[in-house]
Amino acid sequence: MIGIIGSYAVIAAFLASLGAFTLYFLAAQREDPKLEKIAHILFGLKGALIFLASGLLVYLLLTNQFQYFYVYNYTSSDLSIVYLWAAFYSGQEGSFMLWIICGYLVGMGLIKWTGNTYRAPVMFFMTMTQVFLLSMILGVTLFGVHIGASPFRLTAQEFAHLPVFLSNPAYVPVEGSGLNDLLRSPWIIIHPPIIFLGFAMMAIPFSFALASLWKRKYHEWIHPALPWTLGANLCLLVAIFLGSYWAYETLSFGGYWAWDPVENASLVPWILGMAGVHTMLIQKRSKIAHKASIVFAILAYVTIVYQTFLTRSGVLGDSSVHSFVDLGLYNQLLLFIIAVSVSGLFLYLRRMKELPTQNTETPLFSREFFMFSGAMTLLIISLIIIIGTSAPLIGRLFVANPTPPQPQFYNDWTLPFALAIGIFTVLTQYMWWNKYKDTESLAGALLTPTLSASFITVAIVIVANITTILYMVYIFVAIFSIIGNGIIMFRHIRKNPKMIGGSVTHIGFAVLLIGFLGAAFDTPMLDTNTVNYNAAVERGEVMDDDGFPVHQKLEVMKLDINQPRRINNEYKVTFTEADITHDNRPGEQRYRLEFEHLKSGKTFNVNPVIYPMIANSSAGNMSWTVDPEVKMGLFRDIYVYVSNASMVERENSRVENQTSFQAVADALMNGYEQSLNPEINDLVRLKPGATQNLGQYSITFDRFINMAEEDLPENAIVGVKANLEIKNAQTKHTEKVSPLYSIIYKDGSNSVHSPISELETFDFDIMFETIDTATDEAHFRLLGIEESIEDEWIIVAIEKKPLVSIVWLGTFLLMFGFSIAIVRRWEDQRKRAKQSRHYGDE
Amino acid sequence: MKPRVIIGTIAIVIFTSLLMWNFGNSIGSYVGFEDAERYENRVHVIGKWVKDKPHGFDNQRMTFNFHMEDEFGQVRRVSYNKSKPNNFEDAESLVVIGTMRNGVLYSDDMLVKCPSKYNDASNLEMTSAN
Repeated sequence: MIGIIGSYAVIAAFLASLGAFTLYFLAAQREDPKLEKIAHILFGLKGALIFLASGLLVYLLLTNQFQYFYVYNYTSSDLSIVYLWAAFYSGQEGSFMLWIICGYLVGMGLIKWTGNTYRAPVMFFMTMTQVFLLSMILGVTLFGVHIGASPFRLTAQEFAHLPVFLSNPAYVPVEGSGLNDLLRSPWIIIHPPIIFLGFAMMAIPFSFALASLWKRKYHEWIHPALPWTLGANLCLLVAIFLGSYWAYETLSFGGYWAWDPVENASLVPWILGMAGVHTMLIQKRSKIAHKASIVFAILAYVTIVYQTFLTRSGVLGDSSVHSFVDLGLYNQLLLFIIAVSVSGLFLYLRRMKELPTQNTETPLFSREFFMFSGAMTLLIISLIIIIGTSAPLIGRLFVANPTPPQPQFYNDWTLPFALAIGIFTVLTQYMWWNKYKDTESLAGALLTPTLSASFITVAIVIVANITTILYMVYIFVAIFSIIGNGIIMFRHIRKNPKMIGGSVTHIGFAVLLIGFLGAAFDTPMLDTNTVNYNAAVERGEVMDDDGFPVHQKLEVMKLDINQPRRINNEYKVTFTEADITHDNRPGEQRYRLEFEHLKSGKTFNVNPVIYPMIANSSAGNMSWTVDPEVKMGLFRDIYVYVSNASMVERENSRVENQTSFQAVADALMNGYEQSLNPEINDLVRLKPGATQNLGQYSITFDRFINMAEEDLPENAIVGVKANLEIKNAQTKHTEKVSPLYSIIYKDGSNSVHSPISELETFDFDIMFETIDTATDEAHFRLLGIEESIEDEWIIVAIEKKPLVSIVWLGTFLLMFGFSIAIVRRWEDQRKRAKQSRHYGDE
Repeated sequence: MKPRVIIGTIAIVIFTSLLMWNFGNSIGSYVGFEDAERYENRVHVIGKWVKDKPHGFDNQRMTFNFHMEDEFGQVRRVSYNKSKPNNFEDAESLVVIGTMRNGVLYSDDMLVKCPSKYNDASNLEMTSAN
């Protein structure tokens, strides 16, 4: 029932937005405020309906209604309320809904704050994007064409071919298939909403640019569009930061950036939006660059749709780590991208002749020239990233089944341009805020940043022992950019602190450049044994079992408990503790590694986590996920994760026979005491039916066997045997043994007779020592087990990652700069709107 | 023609050709094991994990070993120089990147085509069987 209401709400929302779309067109064409008002109402109605549909979906998720496929596919009954909420946008359908909601919210803002000139045409284009997004979740079949995938479709429809549903169509799954464990992280609460808010806001400069072309008002649109574009950029930046941090700190992707298509999908629009902001500023100040502002505003949104197409249509298939389900939306997504590009191209070509052009050529050394060059360089960078991301499509020009390019391709081609931008920022900032008679006086002003940057670069090169000339140039440019922009910033702080947005952003960018360089110096930290092994591999001296030379070097090493190792001659590292904490999930384990800096003697602890992914595992095969721990430092991070451990192997063998989700979870929760390696004590106390683990061994006491009188040893008055099963969890060897406990009456006194039973399979012996009648426990002595118990060990990867903190610092500076700029442009825009109302010349 | 335009055009042409040349070199091609054996270079092989062949982490060499069947039905051993990647058991397909030597694919990078849970009814069958 709820599902039906939800589906109809989506369909009604789609129809309402179609109506608004048509009315906005007529209102803009005829400049009819009455029609526009009705269109606003329809737009609002669409919002109410999509909120209703989303509310219903969230309700279904919160109440575990697994008869709905979306609920079944992304949740299970063990999820906490936060993750049930997050499951709302964990799938494609829900994330489209979130995007639509964001679009609706910014649309309401546009209706409220946009002046009369542009409001109707801007809303026309905003509504166009909403129509397309809504079509993705329609789930109706029209004339044999299936449009969209409804979030409210039933599990029974989805799995109609399964025997369960064939025999009983009303069958409701008792349990969902669960949220991917990798997504069960607090970051999922905040990362997706911000990114979709950014996507939705980036439609605003697009809409304004097209509206300006339509209404032939090529200049004024930048005033309202500027703060929105900056806002969209801030959102994308925050989202990119959150995603990078998530990937780095908890997902163990190995770093904060991997040039993955999904990452590029938000980076490219950000870069193009950035270019757009700069050309708009040129346009605002000098009344030139109208064409460029319009083109960038269009491109920024077109790339959002294009990258959405790439990541959601299934084209990228095997080249992304992000899982995207192919919902068969290929054609619809293609239509969406064609619609936004063609409407942009069509209007631009139509108006190209009458767009304002410059009469005189811009002089080579002017702020406009440098700023424009900077914007063009941003365009080049984004084109390079687009080419790289599109490898599955355009790579076919070169090879049959193209793979994505090596990360090297992106690094080699984007970083030089990023450096050029670093220089442009300084030149532009100097010329923007000062008047220079000629190039000579500019050169004079730039003397301070150049000299101090040279000095600092030399100092860094010496201290950090940098030998590559390329890196020296790189460092110089970044430092030059920091100092140059820094000088401008300090001047502003003294005069008018509201103006520092630009210079803070540019400093942030240059700081980022420095941080990026750190990635070139990532080094695995290994102990001497492993280093020697790697050297032997390099010399070709290591052979595998088949006698072939081994080529793979090790990036991980084995640490035994409480045995310190020296790594890279820099730290002494000791694995000191292993614990099953169940902190966030059943069976979660935490390890402790103690680091001691050899030179300074300073110590710190790192506590990496590893946990079983029950929802993603199949019976008998437990998946484990590592959750790295990062010891942050200003100049270097120490990045640690445990990739395997003795405790993991023991847990695996404990749950391998469990077949259901719940049984595995229960076993993991309850085996706590047994799974820890206790102080090795060769005395085991067991009640019948109980099991105790000692290291890799498990000892199960099945039952007592009372002995018949004729079987008793000589002189025994009473005797009992214990049926025991001993198992080695690693080798899977088992042995059954039945040691004897008897009491002998001899020479007028009682004595205990319990002979030692020798084990055939294992290197220790067993003795039935006594029976504690108070607790009903039998005591067994495992003689010599100390020698056969393996120590706790871990396989651990430790990496030194320089300057990661500097990357975060640069990102924060960018965010701060953006925020200041948004406030300034917004106030500016409000003032302008008030004035024009005052003079009545809208 | 203004000299600026000419210089600009030449620069763009040179830049674009260099870029595309380098781009062409930096992408590889998805191949099967048989083709991979003939190449010396790094290859990308798409395939599925063969569950019933021995697999596991080699504590001596610190490699994760398993057998994979490529898209053409060929099965080879893969030796991956890290621990078992996330979602490995659940993957519907794997992309293994590395070099092929003596019938073994030595890999230092692996993409796990993640739980495309869309058509995965295994859990449903499991719960309904209980």
